[in-house]
Amino acid sequence: MVTSAGSPAHRDTTAISCWATASPYGLGASAFRAGLMTKQAAVRPLPEELRAGGPHEEGGWVPDFDIKAVLGRKGTRSMDRLTALTVATVGMLLRSAGPGLAEDHPEAMGLVIGSGHGSVKSIMDFTKESMTSALPYHVDPGSVPNTVMNRAASQSAISHSIKGPNVTVSAGVLTGLIALNYATALLRQRRAEAVLVGASEEYSAQRSWLAQRADAGDGQQTSGPLGEGSVLLLLEPASRAVAYGRPVLAEVVASRFTAFTEPEGAQRSLARSVTGALQEARASPDQVTLVVPSDRGGYLGDYENAALSAVLSDHRPQLVLTRALIGDMSAAAAAFQLAAALVHANTGGLALVTSVDPGGNAGCTLLRLPAASS
Amino acid sequence: MDATNGGPEAVPRVVITGIGVVTSIGIGVRAFTFGLREGRSGARPITAFDTTGFAHGNACEVVDFDPAPWIRHTPLDDLGRASTFSVAAARMAAQDAGLVDEQIRQRRSLVSVGTTDGESRDLDGLVALDLEKGPEAFPPAVARRYPADRLSSGIVRELRLEDVEAITIATACAAGNYAIGYGLDALRSGAVDIALCGGADAVCLKTFVGFYRLGTIAPDVCRPFDLNRQGLLTGEGAAILVLERLESALARGANIYAEVLGYGLACDALHPVAPDQSSIVRTIEAAHLDAGVSPDQVDLISAHGTGTRANDVTEVAAIRDVFGEDAMPPTISIKSLIGHSMGAASAIAAAACAIAITEGFIPPTINHEQTDPECAVDCVPNHARAADLRIVQNNALAFGGNNAVLILGKHLGPQQA
Repeated sequence: MVTSAGSPAHRDTTAISCWATASPYGLGASAFRAGLMTKQAAVRPLPEELRAGGPHEEGGWVPDFDIKAVLGRKGTRSMDRLTALTVATVGMLLRSAGPGLAEDHPEAMGLVIGSGHGSVKSIMDFTKESMTSALPYHVDPGSVPNTVMNRAASQSAISHSIKGPNVTVSAGVLTGLIALNYATALLRQRRAEAVLVGASEEYSAQRSWLAQRADAGDGQQTSGPLGEGSVLLLLEPASRAVAYGRPVLAEVVASRFTAFTEPEGAQRSLARSVTGALQEARASPDQVTLVVPSDRGGYLGDYENAALSAVLSDHRPQLVLTRALIGDMSAAAAAFQLAAALVHANTGGLALVTSVDPGGNAGCTLLRLPAASS
Repeated sequence: MDATNGGPEAVPRVVITGIGVVTSIGIGVRAFTFGLREGRSGARPITAFDTTGFAHGNACEVVDFDPAPWIRHTPLDDLGRASTFSVAAARMAAQDAGLVDEQIRQRRSLVSVGTTDGESRDLDGLVALDLEKGPEAFPPAVARRYPADRLSSGIVRELRLEDVEAITIATACAAGNYAIGYGLDALRSGAVDIALCGGADAVCLKTFVGFYRLGTIAPDVCRPFDLNRQGLLTGEGAAILVLERLESALARGANIYAEVLGYGLACDALHPVAPDQSSIVRTIEAAHLDAGVSPDQVDLISAHGTGTRANDVTEVAAIRDVFGEDAMPPTISIKSLIGHSMGAASAIAAAACAIAITEGFIPPTINHEQTDPECAVDCVPNHARAADLRIVQNNALAFGGNNAVLILGKHLGPQQA
């Protein structure tokens, strides 16, 4: 039933075989690819209905995302934007990935969604409705599920009939990497045959205020402009991907996570993560061809850069930065970094995706990229 | 898979060597064990928020809790109420396991904490502040501490861990079992050498209103499996378990509460709030397979048992499907004692199961008068019962049809195995 660690030779590698995104460039992986390759800035003035009195004037918002237009009227009456972005992205992924997934093996399909705190807009709107109604329970019962953090994952399962392990994870800006590691464990312990894994954030005035007020009094580490969107990767054993005619876009080689207590510990902590992941992958720094850091700016950005310089020394792989283009994706940040790595995955070698969270956590994931094809 | 067989290919065995609990019926293992054995009730009028306008307002709150003895390094303002519970419970668990922080710090570790609401209690307060003064008045400390990841990263900071993966699992009311299951997998695979796993939640207006609006809040107390049950009471608290491989527990001579034999996950993918019988069956069967046990070996079920009309009938029907009408083991709900502590619920229930195995008794389902024939189980009504428990099953069902079932077993020394 359950595999022991086994020797690497006998273990199928874990492959990313398809991906999809709803990003500030629009719906679909190709829009994200085009935007990133041309370094088009997707941070732009927020439309009034999204800004809704929030403190940020600009954001990386998903254009033309009318929930009923994208998903239809059925089941969307009470659906919030976070859930809809996730449901839509899962749908895009399943449509483009082909056979052997939810339609054929619903009980063997897992779904792992990363989230900061669900929809803070849905939660706070609901509580506000209770506090301002004539009676405190005069609230819309249809919005109750939106106030629970697993709404995006569970509604995606309902909409697309995904009946295997359904999990919502939260780990600050590292969330995408932690979600990927969780999904990898599900596969290796054979709790699912394939897993859709990623993370989502929605733009809202509430999230914007929380981010702005969190910055107040710090001054060194500012958030915003905020981005929103959803990234979903299809994770499955490489042999399974090939059997269903899907390409191995990347192999998940290793992830490592560390923590630090004081801000200045971030550099050492991240360096330890990267060194540990390289050791686990039995790889040397010069095999890294692509680096996608969290690029948080401020002191954390400085520590992240210093850690990468220390580990990679004179070696200078291609560097991909996304934050200035699409905004601060908060809990979806690392998932977008993984997508950015896949966009540039024509180099061969190893892609290194790193993340540092102001809460004191650091981590990285190493992906093995296929050699450049013709 | 036989959990007890040896040999080089055997899956590593994982045991619980420490328990930290913060509950409405007792803080710390000793007080909680006493509360379970005595069948204490945590139900009382809500103090977390103003209940004016509701027809009734009981919950199972943690009262008179001073976190200061447990939280030494973290300013208490940096932690919301749920994180305060999780961090305090983690420190208790470490001490209960006989570990000083440095011993955990030296090992590669996992901290996984399940939750339904994260720091929604803080968001309640911010909404009130917004209405009164506007969002410009949000205190920065609260705006920083509300995200769900703080329930796990708070533990990391307090214990000064360095070589650690911190994950909060926000899979609603099954999250505690998910978090313990992830710890089991991380130890089985060798990814980590020690895991602090469990769940935490704090009573909040948002969740009370949600359940109240759905008509599922009991007016006075929670009566699982009773003919006159009227719903759940919201509750709060935390449980954190120290998990490690059997070999490391034996090597350091640790006290072993129980073995974590396996778990199963499945999703209904049908309805946002209503449970589904067939997928609960599927989850239980997956857990039994993973644990290498058969239904006839299960001595006790700690049910999700919320005490709502729908949950108890659906859950017992699923248990009946798996075990057979005449072979269902005693099936209890500790929610009768401590209410529904949301993402903490299955973690606290897992702690109760481990204690039940160690201490040799079944905690009662209290407030029980007349068993509902539609969910007729031996719920060990009102009084604890002595029992030699070898295998215990802990059910958890969540909104969105996210189910997780955990199987614990008695740790038998070499001469007993």
